Amino acid sequence: MFKKFSAEEVSAQNQVKASVQRKIRQSIADEYPGLEPVLDDLLPKKSPLIVAKCQNHLNLVLVNNVPLFFNIRDGPYMPTLRLLHQYPNIMKKLQVDRGAIKFVLSGANIMCPGLTSPGGSLDEEVGAETPVAIMAEGKQHALAIGFTKMSAKDIKAINKGIGVDNMHYLNDGLWKMERLE
Amino acid sequence: MAEKPQPVRVLYCSICSLPAEYCEFGPDFEKCKPWLIKNAPELYPDLLKEANEKEAEKVSGQLQLFGLSSGGADGATSGQTSSSKQEEVKRLPGGKIKKKERQEVVIEKVVRNKRKCITIVKGLDLFGVKLSDASKKLGKKFATGASVVKGPTEKEQIDVQGDISYDIVEFITDTWPAVISLSIFFSFSCVLHKWCIWKTLKEDFVPLF
Ligand SMILES: [Zn+2]
Repeated sequence: MFKKFSAEEVSAQNQVKASVQRKIRQSIADEYPGLEPVLDDLLPKKSPLIVAKCQNHLNLVLVNNVPLFFNIRDGPYMPTLRLLHQYPNIMKKLQVDRGAIKFVLSGANIMCPGLTSPGGSLDEEVGAETPVAIMAEGKQHALAIGFTKMSAKDIKAINKGIGVDNMHYLNDGLWKMERLE
Repeated sequence: MAEKPQPVRVLYCSICSLPAEYCEFGPDFEKCKPWLIKNAPELYPDLLKEANEKEAEKVSGQLQLFGLSSGGADGATSGQTSSSKQEEVKRLPGGKIKKKERQEVVIEKVVRNKRKCITIVKGLDLFGVKLSDASKKLGKKFATGASVVKGPTEKEQIDVQGDISYDIVEFITDTWPAVISLSIFFSFSCVLHKWCIWKTLKEDFVPLF
């Protein structure tokens, strides 16, 4: 999604109303309870929350020009990788084998066999249409943010085709956009 | 409310911007390599081997020039310590053979709990340095914790928190001139060992050429 993303794709940047700000905050808190204790630091109630509208119904949530979350239409908010790296335990994790790393980093969606092979691993509790952190065999930090197309149980049982959509990965356009001025 | 999680600090490569462990999959691994050797050698042990192999060829010439073999610490000692080089063998009661200690400082880098690193300094006492005093100075200079502890062979050594192995040689030779840099050895791995000797040699002797 962010393969060719750049500041030019941002069509409008707006400071949102207090009521909208509260709503965004609440849905982030609901989706990532682990983040709640630091939410006041990340999204200070007093600093303006900026939502940047981009092509393909993509929204970026920014504080002090730093992208922290994104979502599509009114789908669930997902953290940027830089934010996830700081708080790695806020998302459920799926792990791809080493062979899949280069495909994930070129933007490919995540195929079931890359998750079910000996180098991969699945958190059985992950349901369909859930934001997940994509980890990699032998690596400590996440390399992508994914959105599951099927549950972890189905990924295991069906074991073919795309299991997880690759939303955001290391070195894509959003990664390169450390700040949006 | 749950306890506040502390943000994790990830080491990002200053060349390609990825977490250092992903440089190998980045846009140009070759360009990252010098940075990685300096900043994250534990992530890519093969890079050191590579660097070592390249440099070993260059260094063997230099080592021979000084009448040293390139076999690592056993061969490379300075003029000052060469008198004590011939191993004096002492028989202990019970027939065990004890080697007389060679006068050298050994720097060891130990990684504990994955990323927590300790630099161990052994042998400063052999140069007449008071270890408690040295430990204080090291702690102060590198703004970290340092303590004198008993090592595995009951010999006292200094444990310093953090990886200070890149600056420590200069500090030791500046602070205690009796310790010359050629009697300082690194032993975080035998591979790195030769590479560091080469570095030390180069820094010390290049002006002569
Ligand atoms: Zn790099």
